[in-house]
Amino acid sequence: MKKFLAENELARDERFVRTKIEDRIFDPRGARMATRNTGPAKMAVDRPSAGERSRSLMHGIFVGEIQALEGAGRTCYDFDDDSAPFQLKLDMARQCWDESRHCEISVKLGDHMGTEIGEYTESTFLFAAACNPDPVLRLCGVNRALEGLAIDVFNSMKDFGNESGDPVLEFCEDWMLADEVTHVKMGSDWLRRLTDNDPERKERALEFQRTVDAIFNLGGFRGEDDENPIQLARNFRRLAGFTEEENDSLAELARQSTEEAVKMAEMASAALDASARGGSN
Amino acid sequence: MSNSGKPRAAFAPWDRRELPGLFSVEDSARRVGNYKWAEMRLFEALGGWVATVPELDVKLVLGRHAYHHAWHAELWHKRLPELREMNPDRLTLPPNDAFVAFMGAVREPEAADLTIEKLVGVYRVLIPRLIGVYTYHLNGTSTITDAPTIRSLKFALQDDFEDWRDGEMLLQSLIETPDEVERAARRQAELETLYLASGGIAGPGSLGESTDSQEVAVG
Repeated sequence: MKKFLAENELARDERFVRTKIEDRIFDPRGARMATRNTGPAKMAVDRPSAGERSRSLMHGIFVGEIQALEGAGRTCYDFDDDSAPFQLKLDMARQCWDESRHCEISVKLGDHMGTEIGEYTESTFLFAAACNPDPVLRLCGVNRALEGLAIDVFNSMKDFGNESGDPVLEFCEDWMLADEVTHVKMGSDWLRRLTDNDPERKERALEFQRTVDAIFNLGGFRGEDDENPIQLARNFRRLAGFTEEENDSLAELARQSTEEAVKMAEMASAALDASARGGSN
Repeated sequence: MSNSGKPRAAFAPWDRRELPGLFSVEDSARRVGNYKWAEMRLFEALGGWVATVPELDVKLVLGRHAYHHAWHAELWHKRLPELREMNPDRLTLPPNDAFVAFMGAVREPEAADLTIEKLVGVYRVLIPRLIGVYTYHLNGTSTITDAPTIRSLKFALQDDFEDWRDGEMLLQSLIETPDEVERAARRQAELETLYLASGGIAGPGSLGESTDSQEVAVG
């Protein structure tokens, strides 16, 4: 078996449908939908689309967990004993087990919420962050950026479970949240241990983390406003070892992404209007 | 009231543990180093395969088992300094080149349509042999002087019995045609031949008997 597997080589059964992130971003239907006033994007029980949004997010969590499992597994395999410490690989093996359980929980929750595997598409850009050839950058991208995002997602879903009177959802999300805090701690710990004497490598790793964070803030997906479906979970992030400065910086990045998304939606809306006027002439 | 001054034997009547055992400190350390090497190569492969198998249930089981074998490797890693090997990496070795070739063959399959080959290597060849070599060590070592190794062996064996059953049941559910029966049997025979040439996870004598004559026969 070769080292370093490309994201397009991930093995799936025939139920799964894969899409590219650029196809989703440039889907012309997106601009049209953005013109509709559907209210705040934050998942709230009083929204008519709350059920559908939560099911879609649950499926997204499920495929994300599969990729997190695959990424941790590849980190066990891709690096020889010289390039990744034994203890780091043990941590990644432990993460494999955790992510495997998260997949199991997600499948059960999907059934509980009324979705089927493959009902929504899968993007593999989460696994792409787990393909970095430097183990420190890989851990920063996966364990700090993506697992940090998972803290925000699980906390938002847990709140949604609580508000919607779904104790099963709330219970499961809380357990997964506990694991994610552990995974972020692992990432922070290895970043410190492996870059203590190499500030340049540390900066490259943090830059990679910021890039991954920015991708997942795309379109205002995460933030602290009602416009963001996923809310930044500052308390759990603090527990996981993120500093207040890091949380502030992420919140600012999220605000910028949200503003850009709003501008893009307005531009797209204007373009659609112009196109409609041209069509009627 | 009981007489607290009444002398009692150090060993209760039902405690039949005995001195000595089959292994010296050096023998035990060498074997433990071999175990750690094999468990490391195994958990790495299980982790690497997760992304290459399309079957969802197999994917999730491999993720779980990868951790079991990583934990066994950690148990052996921690035991080595207690056996006077202060640099565990020095004894984290395969027993010989033939065993390296065997593990290389176990880890070789990559394509998405080779799940049977992947699972046969682990669950019909390697894990049954881990169970064998651990059981031999467990039954042969001093139950008093080497008790910490025995405790770790029992933990590892408990996982291995359950993992072997999981893997074997997955294989039984994946093998659906006579051709697949043939594929599995062929793969098993190829790997067993390589294993035989190595003498085992701890080399010749893995199960307490010299396999020198078998090495010659295979070679």
